[in-house]
Amino acid sequence: MPRRALPAAVLLALCSAGPALAENETIAVFTKNQTNPYFQAVRVGAESAAKALGVNVIQYIPTKPDSIPEQLSQVEDVIVKKPSAIVFVPVDYKALVPAVEKINAAGIPVTNITDRVAGGKLVAYVGADDYNIGLSTGRALLKELGGKGNVVILEGVKGSLTSTDRVRGFNDAIKEFPNVKLLASQPGNYQRLQALQVMENLIQSFPQIDGVLAANDAMGIGALEALDGANRKAAVVGINGSREAVELIKSGRLLASGDFNGFVQGCLGVEIAVRNLRKEETPKEIILKPVVIDKTNYQPYEVPIEQRQCPKLSETATK
Amino acid sequence: MSLETASRAPLTFTRHVPPGAYRLLAAIVLALALTFASDVFPTWGNLLNVLRQTALLFLIASGLTLVILTAGLDLSVGANVALSACLAASVIKGAGSPWLGVLVGVGCGSLVGLFNGTLVTLLRIPSFIATYGTMWILTGITYYYMGGETIHGFPPGFRQFGIGYLFGIPIPVYVMILFLAIGTFFAERTVWGRQVYAVGANPEAARLSGVPVERRLLLVYAVSGAMAGLASLIILARINSAQGDLGEDLTLPAIAAVLIGGTSLFGGSGTVSGTLIGALILTLVVNGMNLLQINASWQPLATGVIVLLAVWIDIATRRDTD
Repeated sequence: MPRRALPAAVLLALCSAGPALAENETIAVFTKNQTNPYFQAVRVGAESAAKALGVNVIQYIPTKPDSIPEQLSQVEDVIVKKPSAIVFVPVDYKALVPAVEKINAAGIPVTNITDRVAGGKLVAYVGADDYNIGLSTGRALLKELGGKGNVVILEGVKGSLTSTDRVRGFNDAIKEFPNVKLLASQPGNYQRLQALQVMENLIQSFPQIDGVLAANDAMGIGALEALDGANRKAAVVGINGSREAVELIKSGRLLASGDFNGFVQGCLGVEIAVRNLRKEETPKEIILKPVVIDKTNYQPYEVPIEQRQCPKLSETATK
Repeated sequence: MSLETASRAPLTFTRHVPPGAYRLLAAIVLALALTFASDVFPTWGNLLNVLRQTALLFLIASGLTLVILTAGLDLSVGANVALSACLAASVIKGAGSPWLGVLVGVGCGSLVGLFNGTLVTLLRIPSFIATYGTMWILTGITYYYMGGETIHGFPPGFRQFGIGYLFGIPIPVYVMILFLAIGTFFAERTVWGRQVYAVGANPEAARLSGVPVERRLLLVYAVSGAMAGLASLIILARINSAQGDLGEDLTLPAIAAVLIGGTSLFGGSGTVSGTLIGALILTLVVNGMNLLQINASWQPLATGVIVLLAVWIDIATRRDTD
């Protein structure tokens, strides 16, 4: 028996109550873009869980990153194709509510992961909230600084929910340390080049910057490049737990990166969708605990996502 | 020279003041305002900083200037930068040869430019649509090739191209000055350059007076592509990584730099040095907002207002002296 078929067989044997549809089940997975490594991790996680459960996955990704109209029309296409279930990351949590309602009307069960959609009927929600990731990652940096010093924030795309919440988390972390001074909070639009240039400008303004809180890894690493270029040192944290960030944490250049665990979200989204189809009991909501990757715990993140194992639903469901 | 009159005829330049002077004035007004507003702005370190950031935008916009001079547009420059950067990055990492990477980056950029030029001349697709299509094709190839990953960590020697200094001046600034000189010389002192203006001012008249219109168009798109390829290398050297979305947010500022610099969208009038001033104004705006800690929410609005003001100063002063 081929190795990959084993878990599916075990699962089939276990769910004697439900009908065994395994070969025909198709899960449509929606993500926001092809450029952010986070969503790549979500897709790999989804494929990984699908393989284990013996179902097919079809990926839907807007060609223009985070395009609302494109995702809306992809949803309309999918409704016509009638997959067994949908795992959904809305490109915008409000604008895609009508899309979820259309999916509901078509009778296709939808499991929401990552950004919580503001309406519609959901099988379950799996996510990690931006605010808490910002808060935990921010605290990690400020503790490293010994609770004092000058810091700057690099914001993501202004007006995006992710950036707003992460930056709010950063700011609340800063409020916990009265001896920390926030020098500036400027936008880098999640882009490495823009963050690099903003940081170059801020370095001119401030002779002493002790810490940088970046709303994603790309901007954090851009800030590192700017600091290196100016022969300056500061502790830098980012968010996303990208492969490059993990390498830099290992080599001691980046202090830490907050992790959303896109891989696990992809795994759990598909697993919940499939279990729901098979009439098994599923949790209504899983909020993953924020993990801050630093030099003490980076090792598991060195494993390429393609080789990681999906966690068991029972292990995560209690949180 | 008959071409000279063909390209300048529709314009009403004043005789004594060079046309770029008013745009330079807008940049100076902005710089003076920033000097009053921020102690840090006029420091040597910050000025070098501004120039280094301007260099990148200028390199992309300089090639684009030639395209716009022919009344065309190249919407694919950002996507071209991204693809060229990603291919060059994987060659630098894979083959371990920065020089091969440079060749691949500029080569990829130029080929994309030739492709655009072919669409415009051979297939007669309007440049806006042709390069819009190319933009999507390039983005698709880049995303597929990168699969959401980043390529990072280049040799220190290669990185000097983006982060290094020579006699205290950042290396990208030398590259900028070099291409300002080449671009200005080409556009204003060579027959081919004057023919580019003629094609933009009136393609029919140019054709009748013996200008090989198709070949000049092919040339400007190829140059625009090559400059995107070159800029992609400086970006790689500067940020030490390549990822699929690298080119986002590069195309519109480049077009804006050309237009703020006084080049007409209708073709036939404009200068490469004007584009440098356009790029400088856009860079000063961001630099100023960072130094003055303008709230992130207000920054898009401030950018819009200053861009309009800069263009208005240009138009108003020109009208007064006419």
